[in-house]
Amino acid sequence: MDNRKYNIYFHTHTVSGIIICAVLFVIFFAGSFAFFKDDIAAWQKNTSYVASRKNTTRDFNAVLDSLSRHHKLKGRDFEFFLNKNGVAAYVSMLPSNDSIIKKQFKPKPKPKGEEHGGKKRGRGRGRGGDEDAASFAYDFTKKQEGDYEKSYDMGEFLYRLHFLAPLNFIRLPINLGAPFGYLLAGLTAFIFLFALITGFLLHWNKIVSNFFTFRPWAKWKTVWTDLHTALGMIQFPFQFIFAVTGIVLIVNSVLLFPFTQLAYKGDREKVESELYANDTTKYAYTYQPLTTQFDLNQFVRQTEARLSHSQLTRLFIRNYQDANMHVIVASAPQADASFAGSGRLVYRVRDQRVLSETLPTAHATYVDKVSALVHHLHFGDFGGRPLRVMYFVLGVLGCVVIISGIFIWLVARDKNSTPAKERKFNFWTANIFLALCLSMLPVTAFTMIALLFLKDPGQSGIFHWYFYSWLVLGLYFIARRNIALTNQQSLMLSTILCFLLPLLDGAVRGNWFWSTYAKGQLDILFIDALFLVLAVVCAFTLVKIKQRNASVTAVERVEHKVAA
Amino acid sequence: MPANKKYLTTSGWLRFSKIMAGFFGGYAVMLSLHLLLTLVFPRQNVLATAFFTGYILWAFLLLWAFIAESIWKVWLTYVGLTLLFAVPYYFLQTA
Repeated sequence: MDNRKYNIYFHTHTVSGIIICAVLFVIFFAGSFAFFKDDIAAWQKNTSYVASRKNTTRDFNAVLDSLSRHHKLKGRDFEFFLNKNGVAAYVSMLPSNDSIIKKQFKPKPKPKGEEHGGKKRGRGRGRGGDEDAASFAYDFTKKQEGDYEKSYDMGEFLYRLHFLAPLNFIRLPINLGAPFGYLLAGLTAFIFLFALITGFLLHWNKIVSNFFTFRPWAKWKTVWTDLHTALGMIQFPFQFIFAVTGIVLIVNSVLLFPFTQLAYKGDREKVESELYANDTTKYAYTYQPLTTQFDLNQFVRQTEARLSHSQLTRLFIRNYQDANMHVIVASAPQADASFAGSGRLVYRVRDQRVLSETLPTAHATYVDKVSALVHHLHFGDFGGRPLRVMYFVLGVLGCVVIISGIFIWLVARDKNSTPAKERKFNFWTANIFLALCLSMLPVTAFTMIALLFLKDPGQSGIFHWYFYSWLVLGLYFIARRNIALTNQQSLMLSTILCFLLPLLDGAVRGNWFWSTYAKGQLDILFIDALFLVLAVVCAFTLVKIKQRNASVTAVERVEHKVAA
Repeated sequence: MPANKKYLTTSGWLRFSKIMAGFFGGYAVMLSLHLLLTLVFPRQNVLATAFFTGYILWAFLLLWAFIAESIWKVWLTYVGLTLLFAVPYYFLQTA
């Protein structure tokens, strides 16, 4: 590689890296914990999904019954998005297709553009925006609907933090087609991909020779460099996967929108039906009442019995109680049965006929395969808990690579030839970035401890505890203006708080390791154990740093004596 | 040690031009190439493939804008390639 290219790779890698490092750290940190989203939710709510899944039957009829108390259900469409944990769902109820019933309901005048309430996309976040529609999260164990704000939990928080959803409140002066938080996350992912490529090319000549190079006893600059390149190289495939799938999952509209306009002539429904196997079939409303008896629970049971090694993902009801009522069930194979695939069954209630059926394990189209690749690789849900633990470790090591990158950047510029003004700027950048990054672990543990004492904190509660404690600790570290101190104190705080978490879970709620184990609440047990391990790792790191500092000062003292 | 400045862009305008060429020009090349491919392969398959190839290609095209010796060469190449891919697509696409 010629010198010119080498230096260009070097510089573009440095610049792109330092621009995104703080945001990328947040993404990696929160994202790593998000692999255990359901476990953290179970931990917070003190109800084990693992334990309750075994004795919960999903009662869909009860959902419709409870809705019928306040709404006329005839002629409506219903959509159930079934949660992977098997005991929860997002439900949305759309306005009736029956124009007579629809007329009885007089919606308040709404601003233009919103009045067409027929189609509410996606999982309703919170109570539906339309007057006569509703969308909510439903808990099958408790048989009650939780509204989104209230049923918000720490797992959901960390999951949504990892694609910067809390930043969506920021309004851009121009509409770029996606909320600010998602755009920032997507742009960060793209710059990350760029930084990965330049970093790889930069290290190209030394991949083999330096693969096992790690010199922990050399000077700090060397330690950071070795850490950055050795870990970065080992992790390269993992991080590359996350950069690409991350872009696809968060800002794919960058590709989809122009593609839809050009190759599909703007027909979005066509794209969705070709890409996500969405059912865009319109089932006509006949105004004839349904004469057949229909039991939704029984239907679901029968459908599930036909599918082996798969689970239902979505359930759509069209034209409820009309003669042309249809039920459409979508299913996905379990990863051990088939990596990719999507199943669909269309059922006409009137004559109890299955109109079409694709088994999820039977075949997978090319698009199914690509989409399975994106999702499975990103969510790490194809190898059970061991794989997710591995993903978590790799994710946390990603955080280490980012931090060491910031250190290299700072240390390499910390010399007399650098102008004082520039050095000051560099120090402050590193100081602020590290203060914010390193306070994340203690803040996470602290917020989760606080949750032990709070009843139904909801979204706002979690936001307050997390962001205010992050702000306070971050500002404290920034104000101390000492990076070594930030490092040591955050490790110390992490050790204490991560250790307190399982301890207090036992003391406050009686969830000691042996009692959760005995009750089969493996998800709650797992979170307690995870934090205990984190505490041990932090304590170990802290001890090692102390030892090293002691030996370094001893050497310095000797050198001083010799010089004297 | 930071990168040797001798090899880096010093002019702000030149740097800006490189970023623009790499980001927008690279995107145009990537998109038009995949559109052209829809003439040969089913469009949903091309679109799905672009989830991977599109973004990776785009990132490499962004990098090439920095590597190339002359910024004019980059602009010309990207505009040329975009036209090369887009023109046949425009005339050959079926409604």
